[in-house]
Amino acid sequence: MRNRITSLVVSGVMVMTLGVMTAAAFTKTVTIKVEGMKCAKCSSSVSKALKAAEGVEDAQVSSDKGEAVIKFDDQKTNETKLREVINGTGFKAVAEPQ
Amino acid sequence: MKILVLAAFLITLSAARVSPQELKAPQFELKDINGRVVRSRDYQGKVVLINFWATWCPPCRAEMPDLVRLQREHGKDGLQIIGITYPPESKSRVRAFARKLKVNYPIVLGTRELKARFSSDENLPLTVVINRDGKVSDIISGILLRQEVDEKIKPLLIRK
Repeated sequence: MRNRITSLVVSGVMVMTLGVMTAAAFTKTVTIKVEGMKCAKCSSSVSKALKAAEGVEDAQVSSDKGEAVIKFDDQKTNETKLREVINGTGFKAVAEPQ
Repeated sequence: MKILVLAAFLITLSAARVSPQELKAPQFELKDINGRVVRSRDYQGKVVLINFWATWCPPCRAEMPDLVRLQREHGKDGLQIIGITYPPESKSRVRAFARKLKVNYPIVLGTRELKARFSSDENLPLTVVINRDGKVSDIISGILLRQEVDEKIKPLLIRK
């Protein structure tokens, strides 16, 4: 009985560890420069649109720095799609360096 | 005794909280950029969206084609959008912009005070959703998202 409980606990811990490792493997963070965020009243739309986009886990947008730091699940979205979301708010995501 | 006083205080506090749904929308009478009078009472029984915007605000400009489409598709269902600009703004610039985008709803030159009558939220754009009973049912801060249109505006257009 004790052995069975021990093996159950060990398997549970392994499954949880694997789950956390997998989730972490899918999470990426990207910093995208955004042009035109001169108006503090308007910049909140970038953060709002990013946070509502599929696969985005967090988005911190700074109008002072002119950038968006985005944490996302790369199984659900990618940097190109995130740039499209930013461009859809009327601002301009600066092109990736070649 | 102390517990009773605290309970009474909490009950009073919760009763005093007013949700946006309980607020009657401010009444107004303004002239649009074409000189026509826009009166809030003329839209009684309609779902009204008051959209505060500015030509210098990129997300305001970005959402305008969606507002034009929304007015075109749901005007027959009782939707009325009213655009109110936020200063600094010039009538000629607003008029040129509205013409370029073929804006199909009235645009009024607004003031800071006018926006403050509807909301203390300083963001732009800002869309105040008024239901058919003339009450503020929502205040949408920032660019209008598709899911907000589906969840906060379209249900109000369904006639019961």
